Amino acid sequence: MNHQVDLTEIAATEGGAQTDTTGLGETVYDTLWGMSDIPGRAPEGIEQVMLAEDKLYVVLAVVLIIWFGLIFLLLRTDRQLDKLEQEVEHRVPQDHDMV
Amino acid sequence: MPVVERIVRGGTAEVNRNLYRTVRNIVLVALTGVVLAGFLIQIPRIQILEHTARNLYFHVPMWFTLMAAVLVSAYHSFRYLQTGNLIRDVRAREAALVGLVFGLLGLFTGMVWARFTWYQGTNIWWNFDPKQSMAAVQLLIYGAYFVLRSAVEEPRQRGRIAAVYNLFAIVTVPFLLFILPRQMPSLHPGADGNPAFSEFTAPSMRWVLYPAFIAFIGLFWVIYTQRVRTSLIKLRLHGDVES
Repeated sequence: MNHQVDLTEIAATEGGAQTDTTGLGETVYDTLWGMSDIPGRAPEGIEQVMLAEDKLYVVLAVVLIIWFGLIFLLLRTDRQLDKLEQEVEHRVPQDHDMV
Repeated sequence: MPVVERIVRGGTAEVNRNLYRTVRNIVLVALTGVVLAGFLIQIPRIQILEHTARNLYFHVPMWFTLMAAVLVSAYHSFRYLQTGNLIRDVRAREAALVGLVFGLLGLFTGMVWARFTWYQGTNIWWNFDPKQSMAAVQLLIYGAYFVLRSAVEEPRQRGRIAAVYNLFAIVTVPFLLFILPRQMPSLHPGADGNPAFSEFTAPSMRWVLYPAFIAFIGLFWVIYTQRVRTSLIKLRLHGDVES
């Protein structure tokens, strides 16, 4: 029970307003996460940043991971195209073209 | 026969690869910047909209990208009719395809945004809002372009018929995306008595939105060029892009 109090305090000290709008006082997840043995501490270091603005920056981190993954795919496709173009240039004689 | 010569060299000579790489790198960096700015820069809090106002940076560029894409597509269709160069047909097709994907992303992101703002508390995902309906019709028109293409076997004939259709399709864009929805009662900004972009929009948001337009159109260009390169390899191998 102690932890739950701690977590509520953290939420209250961080960013100001309590963001739970369920009206239940504690959300579904609180019963699970609130009972974990991880000791609740006031946010410091990276948490101070990531928990601000209703944890908006966590979403930013997720979007960036996805975006960097897509960039990786895009660059890989380019490399493959480079190779294929060279191969086609070598292997397919020009008069093969139907046009 | 300069036209034939260009096609024969097609595979590698058609796309300027140095230019492509430079633009691609700029686009990737710029778009990363847009995402960072879209999340990090403070915005005014407005009732109902709240943080979803940030969708402006991502949802609206989808439609501007669609418009840029279909313009590129129509240009190449026009040039195809002039020259009969199959590479023009390839470019028209790929631009329309990538544009259509951006349009679908615009439609879906708009649906999600509307669900939690316009229709908050009603559990409505789609309510035939004129702006959304017209946008959906627009995408169907471009979807039909590909159905039409698949119905014609012979590449040159296919290119010609598709190009003519494409030139008719581009004419519908301003009507379906702007003129008609603005005459009707729509919840979408820009409709009857509902400003698209106004004193409500913080000036700081424009500094993210305008670069976002350029960056997403740049992303279109990168994907489009990739697809053109792929199709040119196909053209070289099979003599037809749709095989």
